[in-house]
Amino acid sequence: MKRRDGRYIFVAPAIVLLSLVTIYPAIYVFILSLRRKMLIFHISRFTGLDNYIFLLKDDRFWNALWNTVYFTAVSVSLEMLLGLGIALLLNRPFAAKGMVRAAVLVPWAIPTVVSARMWEWIFNSDFGILNYLLGMKINWLGNPSWALHAAIFADVWKTTPFVAILLMAGLQVIPRELGQAARIDGAGAWGVFRHVTLPLLKPVILVALIFRTLDAFRVFDVVYVLTGGGPANSTETLSVYAYKVLFQTLQFGYGSALSVVVFLCVGGISILYIKLLSGIRA
Amino acid sequence: MIILLCLLIFPGCSDRETSEKAHGTVLVFKHGKIAGDPGPLRRLLARFERENPGIEVSDETLPASSDAQHQFYVINLEAGSADFDVMGLDVIWVPEFARAGWLRETDRLMPQKERDDFFPGPVEAVTYRGKAWAVPWYIDAGVLYYRKDLLDRYGFKPPGTWQELVFESQYVTAMEKGLYGFVWQGKQYEGLVCNVLEFLRSNGGGVLSNGRVVIDSPANRFALGFMRDLIVKYRVTPPLVTTADEESTRHIFGNGRALFMRNWPYAWNIFTVENSQVRGRVGVAPLPAFPGGRSSPTLGGWQLGINRCSRHPEAAERFVRFMTSPSSQKYLALTIGYKPTRKSLYRDHELLARQPFIAGLYGILMNARSRPVTPYYMMMTQVLQPEFSAALTGVRKPAEALGSVARQTGHIMGIEQ
Repeated sequence: MKRRDGRYIFVAPAIVLLSLVTIYPAIYVFILSLRRKMLIFHISRFTGLDNYIFLLKDDRFWNALWNTVYFTAVSVSLEMLLGLGIALLLNRPFAAKGMVRAAVLVPWAIPTVVSARMWEWIFNSDFGILNYLLGMKINWLGNPSWALHAAIFADVWKTTPFVAILLMAGLQVIPRELGQAARIDGAGAWGVFRHVTLPLLKPVILVALIFRTLDAFRVFDVVYVLTGGGPANSTETLSVYAYKVLFQTLQFGYGSALSVVVFLCVGGISILYIKLLSGIRA
Repeated sequence: MIILLCLLIFPGCSDRETSEKAHGTVLVFKHGKIAGDPGPLRRLLARFERENPGIEVSDETLPASSDAQHQFYVINLEAGSADFDVMGLDVIWVPEFARAGWLRETDRLMPQKERDDFFPGPVEAVTYRGKAWAVPWYIDAGVLYYRKDLLDRYGFKPPGTWQELVFESQYVTAMEKGLYGFVWQGKQYEGLVCNVLEFLRSNGGGVLSNGRVVIDSPANRFALGFMRDLIVKYRVTPPLVTTADEESTRHIFGNGRALFMRNWPYAWNIFTVENSQVRGRVGVAPLPAFPGGRSSPTLGGWQLGINRCSRHPEAAERFVRFMTSPSSQKYLALTIGYKPTRKSLYRDHELLARQPFIAGLYGILMNARSRPVTPYYMMMTQVLQPEFSAALTGVRKPAEALGSVARQTGHIMGIEQ
């Protein structure tokens, strides 16, 4: 019994810290989401699920949700495909390997706000280098059908290296002998990849997927800097919308309800992935 | 975000004592970062300290972005912070902050006789429920920049109506290669609201009238549709304006690539420096209007307000009076180009001699109109921005966008019921 008690004492600091910085704010936001709270007008009263009912009828919310889902699905798919390709390339022996690996990481090392500002200039339809190279006048950030794709592009550029490095680490723990044995048994390059590398890499791929999906779903900075949510809200994601409602219009109740929805979505995605992951392990 | 939220739990002024010097008062002055040399402002503060022994001013800057400053003030004022006494306020915040009870009333600082010396726009913007809640510090308004050399070459005068502007743009851009006609700020942000209001109001329209929502009117529909037509029908405005802010249009015009530009007066100084490509070839005129309407530049600029929780209200009042005095405003106009909010300074010989540009601004500033003066403004602009953007990019027809604005602003105005 004594030893058991001791264990709790040792984990207590961690639990207290977690409660303070994570659990308490999360619960507080949930409580706020059940209130109508507007600082300016000194309104603060319990309204139950009113905020959530309003949310269901709020076109802007559905638009933001769709933008977020689209952004997440497309950017994460591209990042995984490109990241896997780069990881496979980097995993082969070649000259100046260390240099190339370090260079690949550069986009990931640049703060998102800085890289987003850089992309804002690259995408500039008047003097941006992208249109110069293409010899066209595409209004990347000002056209509602292009803008979200431009944001996805900037995000893929930044986070593909992260995926690549993660997957490369996974590739390196796969024993080379397995591939060689498969080749002796008559498997081609594709066969080795499909039946040896990919199954062994699956857990790492899922970990990369979890990280990237959760990050992409909460995307804020790249969009906020590139377009601020425009034009015509075509790039407004849930986090950007929640930020505007919370900190620009100061509607804390409704803004908290939006945050809770982001939290629930992210939680749902996590649970799904963890189920998948434990399925693989078992 | 969540952690920021938690800072907002405790209202009321905090009684926490700051480390104060035993022999005097430390006045904290919060304001946005000044673009350029902070030296002149520092010297002005030093003068205040010399003239007011016993008061020390601590000059604390916030990020230049208006949104970032708004967020800082809201969080700290709601928490009852007494860590700063005087603050720089964007022209659109005053009714909101006053409604929330965060500001100390400043009627005493603007007695009627003096009030008449201020431009009417900023006075309206700082007045809420019949009282003044801040003192106008410097002023801004939308103006039309034009290429004097090009208009002269084709025998045109600066346009008085939007239709003339279209005609002149079409004519000159047909003759000059690689020249845009008219650039303005059409990105989905606060600047877009300023631009659109100038079109709506110069057609006799607007957003609110006597507290009622009047946005969905034929005049407004026409004006908003006209803005879209500038891009797609008349083709005098490049599609890139739907992502343009002040600086990107200033670059285009400054590189000699546009005939007309709508912008704030700050750009003038940049066009007059030695290595500017358009030096000596730029003119400034009032924004055009629609036939029968009048030029309606949107008002910008900053005011000085006093924190209601300030522990040194008398010193703070003295400081605001000093900073908004004719001599301080003149000094800042001469050194960092802040446009004075007092009309009398536009007849000041020294100022006119050294900055002839401001003589032409007087009439424009007299007509400057504030964005809807209401504590709901920050909510309202979040509705206006995407809807205006949707109309400009063709996602919605002007009538649909304005109808949607009317519904949503109606909902916002009813929030207190």
